[in-house]
Amino acid sequence: MIEVREIRKSFGEVDAVNGINFHVGEGEIYGFLGPNGAGKTTTISIIAGILLADSGTVSIAGMDIRKDGRKIRSLLGVIPQEIALYEELSGRENLHFWGSLYGLSGRELRSAADRVLERVGLSERANDPVREYSGGMKRRINLCIGLLHHPRIILLDEPTLGIDPQARINILDIIREEVSRGTTAIYTTHYLEEAENLCDRIAIIDNGRILAEGTLQELVRLVGEEDIVTVTGSFTAEQVNPLLGGVKVDHLESDSIRVLVPDSHSISGLLERFFAAGVNVGEVSIKEPSLESVFIKLTGRELRD
Amino acid sequence: MKLVSIILANDLRRRLRSPFAVVIMMLMPLVLTLIVGIVFGRSGSVELPKIRVLLVDRDSGFMSNLLRQGLQQDRFAEMIDLVIVDGEEGYSMMREGKASALVEVPENFTGDVLDRHPTVIRVVKNPAESFLPMIVEEVVETMVLTIDRGSRIFAEPIKSVRVLLEGDRWPTGGDIEDVLNTSRTRAILVRGYLSDSLVTLETETLAPEGERTGGINLFAFVLPGSLMLGLMFISEIVLRDIVREKQTGTLARLFTTPVEAGEIIAGKIISTFLITAIACILLLVIGRFGFKIMIKDYLALALHLVASVFMCTGVITFFYGFIRSERAADAILSVAIVVMGLFGGSMVPLEQMSGTLQAAGRFSPVYWAIDGFKKILVFDAGLADIRLNLVVLLVIAVMTTATGAFMLRGRMQRGG
Ligand SMILES: Nc1ncnc2c1ncn2[C@@H]1O[C@H](COP(=O)(O)OP(=O)(O)O)[C@@H](O)[C@H]1O
Ligand SMILES: [Mg+2]
Repeated sequence: MIEVREIRKSFGEVDAVNGINFHVGEGEIYGFLGPNGAGKTTTISIIAGILLADSGTVSIAGMDIRKDGRKIRSLLGVIPQEIALYEELSGRENLHFWGSLYGLSGRELRSAADRVLERVGLSERANDPVREYSGGMKRRINLCIGLLHHPRIILLDEPTLGIDPQARINILDIIREEVSRGTTAIYTTHYLEEAENLCDRIAIIDNGRILAEGTLQELVRLVGEEDIVTVTGSFTAEQVNPLLGGVKVDHLESDSIRVLVPDSHSISGLLERFFAAGVNVGEVSIKEPSLESVFIKLTGRELRD
Repeated sequence: MKLVSIILANDLRRRLRSPFAVVIMMLMPLVLTLIVGIVFGRSGSVELPKIRVLLVDRDSGFMSNLLRQGLQQDRFAEMIDLVIVDGEEGYSMMREGKASALVEVPENFTGDVLDRHPTVIRVVKNPAESFLPMIVEEVVETMVLTIDRGSRIFAEPIKSVRVLLEGDRWPTGGDIEDVLNTSRTRAILVRGYLSDSLVTLETETLAPEGERTGGINLFAFVLPGSLMLGLMFISEIVLRDIVREKQTGTLARLFTTPVEAGEIIAGKIISTFLITAIACILLLVIGRFGFKIMIKDYLALALHLVASVFMCTGVITFFYGFIRSERAADAILSVAIVVMGLFGGSMVPLEQMSGTLQAAGRFSPVYWAIDGFKKILVFDAGLADIRLNLVVLLVIAVMTTATGAFMLRGRMQRGG
């Protein structure tokens, strides 16, 4: 359904997107997981027609976005990361305006708007100007606009950003519901759980590149069955290096070491050797194989920074 | 076309929700016109026609002399151009609109006043003008009051020497001025008592005879300049939406919908045109009824309005072809508009400027709009007289709109 080939985009010195390739099949939810500044929004903007790529191609439903822009855009529903609403208009008027641009009109438009307003619990406030809404309410209207016309493809750019957990669950439910009609979706996020819970396949993206891609199981298999153990404290690399027999070292520097261990038995063995050698250990963290450990392994850092 | 109209309707609806910026900009020309009109009207510093007052003196006695000298004293001489006419001639001049007002002193006025018989002074006002005739009325009213009060006290003594007074130039203007200066304020306070006065003031406004009378309405002279300045600013405020929507993200979101950049731009330009045109119509309606500006050729006015508003929209579109942010708009546009207005005669009437500046003014698009409005509102110009203005305005409008829209579209398609 969506085919992205070698797209690149730079802003001056910054290579925001640096050769990205992926494919999203019909009815699939494709997750884009990456930290701030990874290039998620830039990629989505290129697909949505907001930005022109410096090079590379994007085709959607067999059409090239450079040639059949209007046709492709009529298939899309885009939920931008930055809330984009007319503040002086009411929530309902916003829905009516954006809906009419997708060809909805009359009764059909009004009932579609009423339905989504009901679904996100904003029926009561629908006639108030958006200016008077809370951040969460604006987020919900922002979401509704992209779903109103039941697009075949939805592009969601961090739709739950800055929302309280309760409202987040509600939003994820709505997205699930919408996608269950057979809609194709790209979902960007920097929340691991969202990617894990919602997406059929996930791409891990950083510095404008896709580092790994696959289903959750496939990605987790990348880090193997081993746990990731991170030990921090006050020591030098030379001091701990001789003590590391029997574990795979993933990362080693002064005061911090990350190793991969097959079971908890080898962890206690390792720590015993550390204590015996008088290594000053501050903190030990153990992570079982998960998307997070994949992320750490691929990027060398945690997602929340 | 459908999408253009959706964008247009949305822009108009949004503007209706927050009309304050535009309304404030509409007040500016009105206030400016009022101030400039009054200041220029009172001080003699500007070569504007004086208030021409016709005096029909059927009395030719002491009292009418007093009145005449009062109107000719220094303070009024700056403002009032008093012409002594006979009745027939005076009324026909009024009908031709050649004066702001006519004051008629009846036969045997001096005698009646001294004998305490009721008598009537008429002030006939030119309907084409608003405040000039009012000034005349006030002045004459004050004098009548003075004469009436004075005659009550001095009737007997004056009567006894009236033979000496007939037809002479006594007392002097200075004496009258003193009396006037003190009585003027008092006159306002005691205006109500005029009703029991024996000398009555009868005011009358000539019925407009279809054909407009040609006296100059000062407001009509001043309004076009400030009107155009206001309209330029209104166009700017409305079209500013283009950079503002870029900031709020709605412009980027529009690009994700089936709308094309060209349609967004078309919608915005048309809504700017319409809002500016509505503001212009409202201001002219206020000018017509509030400032009594006479409009003779409505067709010429309508066409000139369309061309002028189109020019405003076009020039502003042109600027937004290059301006990418609100900050740049703030920095560049207000200066550009004020400069164009200044050279075009918005602040100081072009007639007041030196020859070089006047010539330079022709390069300001605003000049052609102001000039046209003046021709229509002040000098009763018809379509034929403003042909050149219309052509120049439309050429500027088409060229600037096309260039600006082209630049904007290119920029939007490149994603900026
Ligand atoms: N309009 C822009 N101008 C300059 N730099 C930009 C612009 N948009 C994005 N960038 C840069 O490109 C990189 C990727 O940004 P973005 O795609 O927004 O990341 P993400 O959405 O993953 O947080 C960042 O380094 C960001 O600073
Ligand atoms: Mg982003």
